[in-house]
This record gives sequence, structure tokens and C-alpha cells, in this order.
Amino acid sequence: MESNWAAEHLQTIRTLMERSAVYRRALAPIMFFVGSIGVLAAVAGLVFHLDLPRAFGGLWLGAALVAVAGAFLIARRQAFKDREPFWSPPTRRVTQALLPPLTAGMFLGVVFVLVGLGNEFALAFIWLLFYGCALHAAGFFVPRGVKLFGWVYIALAGGCLLFLVIFHPDVEWSAHWLMGFFFGVLHLAYGAYLYLTEKGKNAV
Amino acid sequence: MNPEPFLQLDRVIHEKGRLAIMSMLAASPELSFTELRDALTMTDGNLTTHIRALQQEGYVAVAKSYQNNRPLTTCSLTPTGRKAFAEYINLLEQIIRQTRSK
Repeated sequence: MESNWAAEHLQTIRTLMERSAVYRRALAPIMFFVGSIGVLAAVAGLVFHLDLPRAFGGLWLGAALVAVAGAFLIARRQAFKDREPFWSPPTRRVTQALLPPLTAGMFLGVVFVLVGLGNEFALAFIWLLFYGCALHAAGFFVPRGVKLFGWVYIALAGGCLLFLVIFHPDVEWSAHWLMGFFFGVLHLAYGAYLYLTEKGKNAV
Repeated sequence: MNPEPFLQLDRVIHEKGRLAIMSMLAASPELSFTELRDALTMTDGNLTTHIRALQQEGYVAVAKSYQNNRPLTTCSLTPTGRKAFAEYINLLEQIIRQTRSK
């Protein structure tokens, strides 16, 4: 009897400690913003035919910078509205989890842009896989299925890469379609899911 | 069963609301009043009362500051509070061990 009571108490403490370390800002507005930037960048790339590795890398690195800066501003605004500190321990943990894969992807992107290495499809898939890893790492400190969302990126991008390498090595369509789907449409879809399921947290 | 560990449990921490506050603060260097209130779904008055009790015991430190011209209240565990919380958990584990070894 006492053992049950004490074990339940310990379980409650553990749950509360975990909850304390979790990032609680609404993610739907961030996903909508990042998705919109993804779609806009893809449209710009397709309209202006920015298909050479340098132009492709430059466009999407710029889009990533805008998306990251915008996401931080949205999170900061939410914190301000809730009268909470922006740079809270959960925010720091999420940032620390996101940084290594995103930084690695950025360095590779910069190399592609500076040297004009390889082709844009290779860069797109490297970015998608790194981004999936970043989401998965951040998912340890964020609720709402972010870890699973990271796996969706890794599985879909990996599967797509394998399919193209085996069945269509000479791809004729633009890599902006790929980037637009993954960084644009997927974020918008996830944002819509979050918007419909995050109660009362989406006012920015 | 040796009743001693149970009797040694810190009554200030043992209360449900205060235990929740201590648990949240133990996992974070500091939390704002609103973060605690929302996470624990407590009313302002209830949370204030519990924090005051923990503050009087020297377990919780409360800092008031301004962020973007708006008042910000943050709470954190003091070293005494951290030690008391660790002892409380040790006693709970002791109770579980004792009962299971019977």
C-alpha cells in the first residue's frame, strides 16, 4: 500500500520534471510561416529558373535564414504575449538540439554555393536528411509529434532518393519541386494539423 | 515496516501543490510565474500561496524583474530547496524499498 503510494508520488514527480523541460510555445504559426517561405522560395526558383547549384544553394540558404529568423521572432512574440522569458531553458534546449544538424547542412550548402559542387538534387537530399535529424533531435524537448515529423522527413527523403537513384537516375524536373514539397507543403500540412489540435494557443 | 522514513517526509514539500511546484523547478534553472501557473493549471491565488509557503521555508527564491516594460516574476529552487527535494525523493525510494523487501 505504502509502496504503491510512494511509487505513484515518484511517477508524478518524474512526469512533472519532464513537463518542466518541454518547450510549450504554439508551433502551428511557426510551421505556417516556414511552409509559406518554402512554397515562395520554390515558386521563385521555378519562375526564375534558379537551377544551377550556386543559384539553387543561394536561394534556399537565403530562404532558410528568413525561415529561422521568422520562427524566432514568432516564438519571441508568443513569449512576450504570455509574459514569459523568451530565452527559457526549454527554448535553449530546443535550439541546442537543432543547431548541430542545421549548422552541418548550412556548411554543406555554403560549400555548394562557393564551389558549385555536384548537382542541386544531391544538395536538396542532404538538406532534407539533415533537417529530419534536426527535427528529431528537437522532438525530445517538444511535444506534438515533432520527433515523428522528423522521421517523416528522413523516411520520405531517403525513400525518394533511393527511388530516383534506382529508377530515374536522369531526373528531368527541377529540384525546386522537391524542396517546395518538403519544406513548403509538408510544413503547411503539419501546421494545419497543429492548428486544429492546439487549443487556444495559436494567436500570435 | 519501519515508519521512520514516512515520518521524516518534509510536510512542506509533501503537500500536492507544493510538491508539483518543487518538481517543476527541480528540472529547470528557473520558471516564470505564468509558466508554473499554466503547466500546473493552478489559479494565481493558489500558486501565490504555495510559493509563499515554500519561500518562507527557504526552498524557493522569487525574483521580480521587467521584460519589455512588463513585470516578470521568476521562481527557482534555492540550494536548501534542492537539498530538501533530494532528501524527499530519497525517503520515497526508501519507503518503496522497505515495503518491497518485506
